[in-house]
Amino acid sequence: MDNFNPQTFDKNLAAALSSGREISVPGFADRVIVAVRLERRRQTVIRWSSLVTAVAACVVTVLTLQSPSEESLNRQTVALVAREESSPLADLLGIADDLSLLTPVVDKKSSIVDVLATPGS
Amino acid sequence: MSQPDPILSDDEDDKRLMALVAEGDDDALRMIVHRHHARLVGYIRGEVGSQATAEELAMEVFIRLHRAASRWRPDAKLSTYLIHIAHNLVLNEWRRRGRKPTTALEFAAEPGDQRHDSARRVTELDEAFQRAIAQLPTEQRTAILLVVQQELPYEDIAGIMGVPVSTAKTWIHRARSRLRELLKDFYGPA
Repeated sequence: MDNFNPQTFDKNLAAALSSGREISVPGFADRVIVAVRLERRRQTVIRWSSLVTAVAACVVTVLTLQSPSEESLNRQTVALVAREESSPLADLLGIADDLSLLTPVVDKKSSIVDVLATPGS
Repeated sequence: MSQPDPILSDDEDDKRLMALVAEGDDDALRMIVHRHHARLVGYIRGEVGSQATAEELAMEVFIRLHRAASRWRPDAKLSTYLIHIAHNLVLNEWRRRGRKPTTALEFAAEPGDQRHDSARRVTELDEAFQRAIAQLPTEQRTAILLVVQQELPYEDIAGIMGVPVSTAKTWIHRARSRLRELLKDFYGPA
């Protein structure tokens, strides 16, 4: 074919391509619907898990903010330790108070004892 | 509710169906798929050369359409929008493969292909065209497929390929010249 005819060429090109213009696939729509429903379910799970994660993050944040700071904990610890160290002294003081109650009467100055003990009385 | 409206044109009915799809109507989506899938699979098959890949990518096109249904604006025809998505997926597919299908073997009918029998009947010239088209540079092949096979206007082709109309026209012109060169045994030297 020495004489090139553009119209014939275009016609043949169109004929060659038109055979594959439409390829109908039986059951394709059903497959798409199944895939879309799976996708929708997956999205729902992702959405819920995101929500749960966000709520969990909020709870952790609130708990963190409500709990005492490290500095505050240190202060409390120091106070407790100090209290522990001072407790023996406090206990001792308490015992001393108790001992004063148990002190014998004879050891205390008394006017009767004084009279009886006075020589020549 | 999602029965085809006999009064509306396909384009108008597509818009109506897309509004229903956005509300979660699966029957409306089924109708859209039923109406457009054959042409979409045909286009993708022309691009990638494999029936299985074409079906897989066409499926992904409709999943993406469903995902974007609530954001879809009917600025263009739905069929053009679908081919736009398909074209992007084809580009991704080529990137994933690291090459484009350029051998005639990939365009031959696959075992189990529904078109296997009809493929046997295609003429020698048709096969020569298929082989020649497969050898075209990517953008030229896409442009020639869109204009000749899908019968899209230049403006739509430019929109789908993301280039000016003049560029799309240039690619189509070069594709024709290259095809004529590749088919010189049939048409004589260019």
